Amino acid sequence: MAASFLGYPRADGTVGTRNHLLVLSVTGLTGPAARRIGRQILGAVTVTMPYGSGLLGRDRTVHERALKGLAAHPNVGAVVVVGGDRAKVEAVAGAAERAGRPAEALVLDRCGHDSLVLTDRGVRAATHLARRISRARREPVGLDALFLGLECGRSDPSSGLVANPLLGRIADRVVESGGGAVIGETTEWLGAEAVLTERAASPQVAEAIRAAAARREALAAAAGIDLTYNNPSETNIEAGLSSIEEKSLGAVAKSGSSSVRSLVAYGEPPAGPGLHVMDAPAYAPESLTGFTTAGANLLLFTTGVGNSFTSALNPTIKVSANPETCRRLTDQLDFTASEVFEGREPLEAAVGRLMAVVLEVASGALTFGEVLLEGEEVISRFGEAL
Amino acid sequence: MTAAPAPEHDALVLDRADNVATVLRALAPGEQARVQTPSGMVALQVEEAIPLCHKVALGEIPAGAAIVKYGAPIGRALTAIGPGQHVHVHNLKSERDRSSRR
Repeated sequence: MAASFLGYPRADGTVGTRNHLLVLSVTGLTGPAARRIGRQILGAVTVTMPYGSGLLGRDRTVHERALKGLAAHPNVGAVVVVGGDRAKVEAVAGAAERAGRPAEALVLDRCGHDSLVLTDRGVRAATHLARRISRARREPVGLDALFLGLECGRSDPSSGLVANPLLGRIADRVVESGGGAVIGETTEWLGAEAVLTERAASPQVAEAIRAAAARREALAAAAGIDLTYNNPSETNIEAGLSSIEEKSLGAVAKSGSSSVRSLVAYGEPPAGPGLHVMDAPAYAPESLTGFTTAGANLLLFTTGVGNSFTSALNPTIKVSANPETCRRLTDQLDFTASEVFEGREPLEAAVGRLMAVVLEVASGALTFGEVLLEGEEVISRFGEAL
Repeated sequence: MTAAPAPEHDALVLDRADNVATVLRALAPGEQARVQTPSGMVALQVEEAIPLCHKVALGEIPAGAAIVKYGAPIGRALTAIGPGQHVHVHNLKSERDRSSRR
């Protein structure tokens, strides 16, 4: 029997692992109003972007695409979009509606520039939308409905040896079933380019990977940082890492062994299923939001010593294999693999356990991050605003 | 409270092409390590002290040959390395590292 979970099939062909009522502020100006609205609605997820008008060039393009990606996200049942600029608010709400999601567009200017009026209208609109989407029911869907975002943070030897390879096996299973997976954190490709390019689906993809890694290295160099000097560090070396290749391969292990279908830009949705790599910062808040706005509907996040941050829209399964961390962070880690690290469980057995957790969480079982409201969405900035 | 089960293996090999294993506890010279590989368990005679999470050679690695972990080269052997010997920065050279100690 093929593995399956219970998800929310959407009109645009995607499947949600959640059915959120999203309150989305497209500008920092209405962030506080959005938060006031969200606080008054049972189970609402509020996402606010701190920036707005004045964004130029790449910043403007990335923000617009990200906001539409959030409003129309598979995990969103309906969205209340608030902002100051009517055209922008309506464009984002329109993207949600085209994806089959009910959306309300509320503009501060049309509320007499009164944020309390905006709040009141937002609460009333959100109330009706929340009741409406509460009638949706989960249906059985296959693994091909999953698009995984894979992240590591605060890594240590247990990450490269156990936790990341575990994620890689999960990614392989999902991709084999027709689903999708994405890794980012371009700085961690340095030293692993040979492996990634060997798995590239075409010479163009291989070249894009090489170019992205080189560009990130040059970006650091321009700021006076040499990413391959004394990397691994003395601490890394004491811990057992002998080369940057080993360190990066330990990170890239979370991508599994599938062919790399394409390289996507920050926050850009891939053209189809399979494994993709995203040229993105390693900083978790930006990285996770990049995956989410690209359409990932479930995230897996390994840590060595601990990392509490999660996505707001996406269930984020926290994984560690460090025995001390697993003993200490009993209210953060959704999955522990310390038995593998201690030699008491074969890796393959842990893969089976983690797959079961992935299916449970995809079907609605809550992660610590969701229950504790640890999640936020943070979009990258690239340049100055006017 | 029952004690945790005893470890079944002492080192991990992640890929069939790897020529090193990574140890899950510090190993002493003379120990017989139980190494879990993708193809099953193998025994390895440890010849040198291997600290926790460090690497041990599975077989002969000629000088200049690639040291393979995760199925890919992680550096080249600076000298010939025998099975059961410690593999680390003293006998492994990265192809990418440009720091002064190299």
